Amino acid sequence: MISRRKFVKHSMQAAAGSSLLLSALQSCKQPAAYPATLVGPNARLGHMLRSGKFEEPSEGSNADVLIIGGGIAGLSAARYLKKYTDNFILLELGDETGGNAIAGSNAITAYPWGAHYLPLPGNNDPELIAFLREANVITGYANSLPVYNEYHLCFDPKERLYINNFWQEGITPREGVPEKDRHEIERFLALMHDYKDQRGSDGREAFAIPVALSSQDKKYIALDAISMEQFLAQNGFTSPYLRWYVNYCCADDFGSSLTDTSAWAGIHYFASRKGKAANASSDTVLTWPEGNYWLVKQLRKDLEKYIKTNTLVYAVDATNSGVTVLYFDAAANKTKKITAQAAVLATPQYVNQRLLNPNLKRTLDYSAFQYAPWMVANITLDASLDERKGEKLCWDNVIYGSDSLGYVNATHQQIGFHNSHTVITYYKPLPGRDVKKLREQAYRSTIEDWKNIALQDLRKPHRQIENHIKQFDAWVWGHGMIKPVPGFITGETRAQTSMAIQDKIYFAHSDMSGISIFEEAFYQGHIAIRKILERNLLKV
Amino acid sequence: MHKQENKVGSFQWLLLISVFVVATCGLIYELVAGTLASYLLGDSVTQFSTIIGTYLFAMGIGSYLSRFLKSNLLGWFISIELMVGMVGGFSAGILFILFEQVIYFRVILYTLVVLTGTLVGLELPLLMRILKDRIEFSDLVSRIFTFDYIGALFASLLFPLLFIPYLGLLRTSFFFGFLNVVVAWIVAYRFRNEIRRYSQLKWSAIVCLLLLAAGFILSEKLTAIAESLTYPDKVVYARSSPYQRIVLTRSAMDWRLFLNGNLQFSSADEYRYHEALVHPGLAQMKEPKHVLVLGGGDGMAVREILKYTSIETITLVDLDKVMTDLFQSNTALMKLNEHALRSPKVRVINTDAFVWIREHQKTFDFIVVDFPDPSNYSLGKLYTMSFYRELYRILAPQGCMVIQSTSPYVAKKSFWIIDSTLRQAGFLTTPYHCYVPSFGEWGFVLGYKEGLSQQFNFPKDLRFVNGETVTQMESFPPDMRVAESPYNTLNNQVLVNTFEKEWADYTR
Repeated sequence: MISRRKFVKHSMQAAAGSSLLLSALQSCKQPAAYPATLVGPNARLGHMLRSGKFEEPSEGSNADVLIIGGGIAGLSAARYLKKYTDNFILLELGDETGGNAIAGSNAITAYPWGAHYLPLPGNNDPELIAFLREANVITGYANSLPVYNEYHLCFDPKERLYINNFWQEGITPREGVPEKDRHEIERFLALMHDYKDQRGSDGREAFAIPVALSSQDKKYIALDAISMEQFLAQNGFTSPYLRWYVNYCCADDFGSSLTDTSAWAGIHYFASRKGKAANASSDTVLTWPEGNYWLVKQLRKDLEKYIKTNTLVYAVDATNSGVTVLYFDAAANKTKKITAQAAVLATPQYVNQRLLNPNLKRTLDYSAFQYAPWMVANITLDASLDERKGEKLCWDNVIYGSDSLGYVNATHQQIGFHNSHTVITYYKPLPGRDVKKLREQAYRSTIEDWKNIALQDLRKPHRQIENHIKQFDAWVWGHGMIKPVPGFITGETRAQTSMAIQDKIYFAHSDMSGISIFEEAFYQGHIAIRKILERNLLKV
Repeated sequence: MHKQENKVGSFQWLLLISVFVVATCGLIYELVAGTLASYLLGDSVTQFSTIIGTYLFAMGIGSYLSRFLKSNLLGWFISIELMVGMVGGFSAGILFILFEQVIYFRVILYTLVVLTGTLVGLELPLLMRILKDRIEFSDLVSRIFTFDYIGALFASLLFPLLFIPYLGLLRTSFFFGFLNVVVAWIVAYRFRNEIRRYSQLKWSAIVCLLLLAAGFILSEKLTAIAESLTYPDKVVYARSSPYQRIVLTRSAMDWRLFLNGNLQFSSADEYRYHEALVHPGLAQMKEPKHVLVLGGGDGMAVREILKYTSIETITLVDLDKVMTDLFQSNTALMKLNEHALRSPKVRVINTDAFVWIREHQKTFDFIVVDFPDPSNYSLGKLYTMSFYRELYRILAPQGCMVIQSTSPYVAKKSFWIIDSTLRQAGFLTTPYHCYVPSFGEWGFVLGYKEGLSQQFNFPKDLRFVNGETVTQMESFPPDMRVAESPYNTLNNQVLVNTFEKEWADYTR
């Protein structure tokens, strides 16, 4: 009885398989037609900065503090500032705030266009913990450990790796990996785990988030002088499986590869995350269908009236009485001027270079800031993906051997019944030394190019993926993430970046940390405001 | 002269290629029969062994019979190839539809194997005789057997690697039948001047091809027909909703409802399940007014709840509108749930329970949670602490809820994980179980906030539950207990993983 039922089930699967084959054959004949668009970012306003001549502003206003840039750093600054003054403005170039953490949505689900998760944070940044409590991400404490809101903790099953024609659970290569390589991977992870607990001679954590709180002990600083590849070689790590895995991790956090990531940063990836939870294992992450855009919405909940979007700041100058900022208001189609006691430039350094009046003499080697370009694709599917053997669809799905980060399933955090319709977000960093060339290449690429790159990769585990695609959208981040190339994090340039100009112009951006993650941007944001408060620049 | 040689060459190559195709097809039919037999009858070693043996023996019979064919050898060769194509091509389909007739199944199976084997066995001797005057004998034997064995290798490799995964059994056999017939036709066409009755052969080939092509295309329909055969009783209703396959069967004894092939109830003993689900909790409540039922789109639980006169509203939340519509409109089924879903007290909401409950504020006196077992991650979410916390929020302070909790005998760890998850979510619990013949030993957990009255006011006409059965149900023998249980959360889904393993072990 059971064997008969099983038999019918098998036959039906086989029949279904055959109809897939037929439809695949059909699709060979006529390429599937589905809309594909290159979505963003809207570069029109930004490009005016390079080319445009602006009229002398006709209107002016003033504020205590002006924040330029509505990414995580700018929003964090605004959130913190709001506790002290009501008289501030945040200017954002884009249609909306969120920076690298913005998101899109369609009839099926919201989905991220960039940053999409937050590892459980440690205790180094009390302001971040306070924010997570405000947002009810942390719902309370038990045994002096934070209790996280279960709806925001990544649901099980979390991640899988496609390796040797099989989906294994977890991302560290294991399935079909020779014993020698497995041992090497274990040895590497044990070494990283050691670093996690280490402290320098100055008593600070060897590797901390925020980066600023890490130990200055020479022993660790020295690691920034070499690349992650050199570090692996020096420690006798040669396994190709391990090298792929570490390279994947560099790409995940920095958009870079083994050769152009400093060993300090590479180790930081493994050794800095020390968050614990009362109700989850410490390697859990917080995530939402729309990715970190959910956090953006929480950050700006009470900030809407201070935010002006579609505004292009084109000049920042310090005066005797404060700061003057000139900007183009795209909605009003006119230039305007704001004077303030202080300004926070929550913008990356390559933008600051163009905004700041050259007379301000900010002697910074801007060329030291290298940004990795990225492509992110959101692929809408109208049926479950055809699967290979092993673990079922997870939140994070990685393909061994690929130089992409694989894809994330946007509907994973939905509590409702699993729907076969979903959106998957495919992440592709563009690694290489010549970032400028890569960026130009990326901007030149068409949607067809991106489609080919993504699908060639995704067809490995999902042969029939193209039959299920309803929509393919891509987004090119020209300056996706600051790259912690060897020497950058402990270098002179980075140290100078946070120095304010005449105690009036302050800086806040994750590129100042050398690592482009939510925690760093958030930290830089409220630290900049803290400095302003310390100077008593506000009439509080 | 040169031209003549050429003609002989193409003549023999065509026939040799058809040897190759015949050998491939022959082995494929054999493999199809073997696979089918081991699926259906189990014990694959025996099945494959006997089928291969029978098949080879039948080829021997065929070879022997070839001596009785004296003339028109080419015509016979083509006719036999057409027959092989038809018999082999349809064999899987025939077996597929007839496999319910277990008693005769082996007879049919071996008849088909013998028939195919005999026909294939006829072909080689015939071919050798056709070619014997045209090719040197040693060359002939060497070539024919070479092609024969290459065909066998080809078939045995492609069958498991390509055809079964992509075409499935049914289509594979239709496909090769088709191939067989095509080759027969090509041979016939090529030698139309040398054989008698070419046009008759041609028309036979066309009819065969049409039939096989139809079989290939209708394979999916065939599987659907065969599905109805997987149920022991007559299928009276079958429909796929966006969420599940709903099948209703009827026998002289009972009605049975299957969701995705899993038995949901048998009308013969469902009263045991539904009385045990509802009454131990509800009968302890004083004047219950507002009841929530999650899942349970068949209306059986609602039927039991309506036996309490104090009930004012029953809210039924079931994802699948097809289910609730079926049990609100089908006369026979409404007889089973006593028109429960049509009661003015009942409000049916077709939406996802988790999504609905997160937005719901009003409290209920009694809640019935009657979801399918936690066999996948989607269902697993409905057994997590997060979900139970939401239930806790909408349960009245004096209220009580009951959860169907799978079998504490087959999946005892799973059962106690549900209990432990409820406790973790803040509930006090009373686990209990009862015997439902069509299910086996089945478990439930009561969850409440402040303790229960222990005073039972059962409705009058119950057939199974009374004070005595409740006491029995609450006692768990040692083989249904576990020492300690983890609890199930959205980020560990420990229940789904445990449940999967326990049922897999049990059904292995």
